[in-house]
Amino acid sequence: MTSRALVEMAALALVVFSVGALWVRLRREKTIESDGGATIQESISAELGRFQRQLLRILTTTDHREIGILYILFGTLAGVWGGIDAMMLRTELLTPPADIWTPETYNALFTTHGLTMLIFFVLPVFFGIANYFIPLLIGADDMAFPRVNAIGFWLLPPALLLVRMGLFVQVGGQFLGLFSPEETIRFFLSLREVGVGWTLYAPLSVQSQNPQLDLLLLGLHLSGISTTVGALNFIVTIVHERGENVTWANLDIFSWNILVTSGLALFAFPLLGSALVMLLLDRNFGTTFFAVEGGGAILWQHLFWFWGHPEVYILFLPATGLMSTILPKFVGRKLFGYRFIVYSTLGLGVLSFGVWAHHMFVTGVDPRIKASFMAVSIAIAVPSAIKVFNWLATMWEGDIRMSAPFMLCAGSISTFIIGGVTGVFLAVIPVDILYHGTYYVVGHFHLIVVGIIPFMMVAASYYWYPLMTGRWYDTRLAKFQAVLMIVGSLVTFMTLLIIGGVGLPRRQAIYPPEYQFANQIATVGAYVIGLSVLLWLYNVVVSYWRGAPVETTDPWNLKATRQFTKEWQWFESRMVAQYGLSPATPSSVRRSFDPSAEPEGLAGGVGSVIQDVSRKASAAAIGGIVGTLLMTGGLGTAVFIDVLDPASFGEIAELVGLPASPVLGSLLFLVGGTVTWPLLFLAFREFLPGRLLFERGLVFSTLIWTGFVVAFYTGQQGLGLVGYLAFGLVAHWSYGLGLTVTFQYLRSRQRAALGGGE
Amino acid sequence: MSRSDDSVLFTYIAPFLGVLLVAVGIAAAVPATYDVIQDDITTCGTPTIAVDSPEETTARFGEDPRPNLTRFAYEDLSEAEQEAFRDALDDAVGESRVDGEFPHYGAFLNGSLVTYEGERHYTTVVAENPCFVAAPLQLPLGVFAIALGGIGILTPPAYRKLVALEEGAE
Ligand code: HEM
Ligand SMILES: [Cu+2]
Repeated sequence: MTSRALVEMAALALVVFSVGALWVRLRREKTIESDGGATIQESISAELGRFQRQLLRILTTTDHREIGILYILFGTLAGVWGGIDAMMLRTELLTPPADIWTPETYNALFTTHGLTMLIFFVLPVFFGIANYFIPLLIGADDMAFPRVNAIGFWLLPPALLLVRMGLFVQVGGQFLGLFSPEETIRFFLSLREVGVGWTLYAPLSVQSQNPQLDLLLLGLHLSGISTTVGALNFIVTIVHERGENVTWANLDIFSWNILVTSGLALFAFPLLGSALVMLLLDRNFGTTFFAVEGGGAILWQHLFWFWGHPEVYILFLPATGLMSTILPKFVGRKLFGYRFIVYSTLGLGVLSFGVWAHHMFVTGVDPRIKASFMAVSIAIAVPSAIKVFNWLATMWEGDIRMSAPFMLCAGSISTFIIGGVTGVFLAVIPVDILYHGTYYVVGHFHLIVVGIIPFMMVAASYYWYPLMTGRWYDTRLAKFQAVLMIVGSLVTFMTLLIIGGVGLPRRQAIYPPEYQFANQIATVGAYVIGLSVLLWLYNVVVSYWRGAPVETTDPWNLKATRQFTKEWQWFESRMVAQYGLSPATPSSVRRSFDPSAEPEGLAGGVGSVIQDVSRKASAAAIGGIVGTLLMTGGLGTAVFIDVLDPASFGEIAELVGLPASPVLGSLLFLVGGTVTWPLLFLAFREFLPGRLLFERGLVFSTLIWTGFVVAFYTGQQGLGLVGYLAFGLVAHWSYGLGLTVTFQYLRSRQRAALGGGE
Repeated sequence: MSRSDDSVLFTYIAPFLGVLLVAVGIAAAVPATYDVIQDDITTCGTPTIAVDSPEETTARFGEDPRPNLTRFAYEDLSEAEQEAFRDALDDAVGESRVDGEFPHYGAFLNGSLVTYEGERHYTTVVAENPCFVAAPLQLPLGVFAIALGGIGILTPPAYRKLVALEEGAE
């Protein structure tokens, strides 16, 4: 427990702090420094005053766009936090025994991971997007109840704190433990993160002694109130605040989805609230709702899943709404079958309340009733399939634009298909009984909860980035990030599907060694997802300050395909009003990096052949020295960590007839590196593949590396061999790069000198 | 126009491999680092034993326990074992960790009867709390992979710089 709390706090603090520092630095770059005049103290107090005003404004704002952004920031933070939990889970699973975290810690991790992701990450982000865009999409001025909207948001931070208080208390307790004896701070040591699973099944959740569980229940209750309030606001806004020409028949698909989602939330969350109160009463006031003499543990499961299954759709419908909104924009076609998508959304909403017991196939429910639940659960696949079909049909023969949002849409559809099909199997009772306690389930639902929900959030963040910030994100980085995210998710969760399929139970810190390799692959995949999320964070933060300004009122060229929807019309009118842009005139082309635009060939023909050769040779020698020095760093490290045997240098000396001394060998090596190899390279470079010199340098050094590997091999095995090969290769690459880059650098200096002399 | 700007290898493949390497590197380095510091931050290597009260022991085995259980007198136990035994008796759930010499580990693993002040206590190891052991090269290679991966991730801008340099030299 000890180490876990610290590690988690540190990781969270690191992410938050880095983003904050990056932000401050970028902002500082952008503000114009006054040159003298104000003393430092004055500028600090001015800064403080500004900060205070900002803070007050943020705390009291009722503007739907600002609240939307607050929601998004909050949800993102929670997502990062829950993501750190996930990374820690996967880290523990790198090894079969519970030797990185204890089983107790592992239990706490999957509990907080599940709760944080499901309650504090997904819905807040979607509510944030909806807050920002629904009024724009339906032509309303603001939400129906702006103040209620603000209250709904501000209930969330305390809720999250209550739910995850255990972490802070634990770290605080450990800190105090440095100074005070254990008895005086017993309270801090008795609170700890809850480990009963996010489903809080009775009787465990009733009997657990951990007081943090009560705080958690209160926090969940608070978040439920927030959700209910928010949902009400969306319903009233969409029903009553629509602009003049927005009818039910042309209401955009995202608003439809938020409407249905809010309806679900309105029925589901009060029920969860009641169940939570019953659990609190059972724990603290001796009631017996979930005790054997009362309703029994199964009552909790019924109540929980009667909320829990609709909750799954509450999480997932807004994502499908985003898909139906974004996908058509990038394939240049209107959404295929708008009407059927709306019907399927409504259908999913209604059906989702009728299938809760498919989470309880292994309990003692009457088999005939179970069979009916099985039928409805399979039926629910139909509306989902309709959606997929319509998306595919929209893409069909579309004019696909390979941007990051499109790539994420395509990735989502594929993970959704895999996740959905594997889900149908789970709806079949005999299969579920086999698989429900295994990683098959984890793989199945993560393909959906990761494969479509965050993918679509990220896609939306890219799609609307120009609208929200007036700047472009780094599109190249975004594409790269999208690929990483998709590949990482497929690798991670397909692997889980497979190991679950062959029977590895889930929710266990300890597993049989034969699963180790598969688990390691899944963990590496998870780290790839984590890294991609960091790249996304970096991109959106940096582009806010440094991205190229949007210089057109139609950044995605939507007018061309007649999809210039309401939110972009709003954007256009704002751009026209603020910057005097004329609507949708394609403005000047963005400046882009273009080295070949520089004049070429100035130095051509200068100097005689002799001069040229000697210059080249000396340049090559200098390059060789630089390269060899770089290489020595790599090889030295390899010797240091014991994957390269220095004695092998002696053998090299022997080879040319000198005594077998490593020192002589190293000298020889140096000479080779500065004289022989560079000359060889110059002689052969024309024949090496690669367009640019340094590319050829890389090829060349890779070739010599193969020779090196044979010549210096001293029987390394396993990791030692991996290290030997890798260090050798990298050292050679740095040689090749050092050689060619120095060479070119010298040449360009020469050219500049010659050019300047004219 | 930008003819040299479109190297797929250096714009997409290299950073992709870089991210993979970083991920593998983290997977190797994090547990290995943990291996280094775990002695300071955890109590691994100290198995937990559970000690039943005399009543529980009787309830479990009846008055006449099976003869194949190993038996000890309290005095036979090592110092650390004795201490853990006493702590477990005081403990609310009857468990405690053995911090030190544990010569009777094997016997306790299968369950033993310990006679203490004339009463029999059933005693077992309930958790091994093993320490994590990383391969010796795991940390340096992991760090190396992260560093190399980092370079891979930073390839695209570096590549553009190199291209500019090269074109300046021509
Ligand atoms: C980086 C992406 C993620 C990774 C690597 C990941 C990994 C994991 C792992 C390893 C478990 C524990 C499995 C077990 O021991 O049974 C788990 C459970 C879970 N995850 Fe995730 N997860 C990720 C994202 C998400 C997201 C986005 C959500 C929800 C929106 C989510 C919801 C859940 C839930 C509900 C559980 C079940 C907890 C339980 O068994 O009580 N996860 N995840
Ligand atoms: Cu369900």
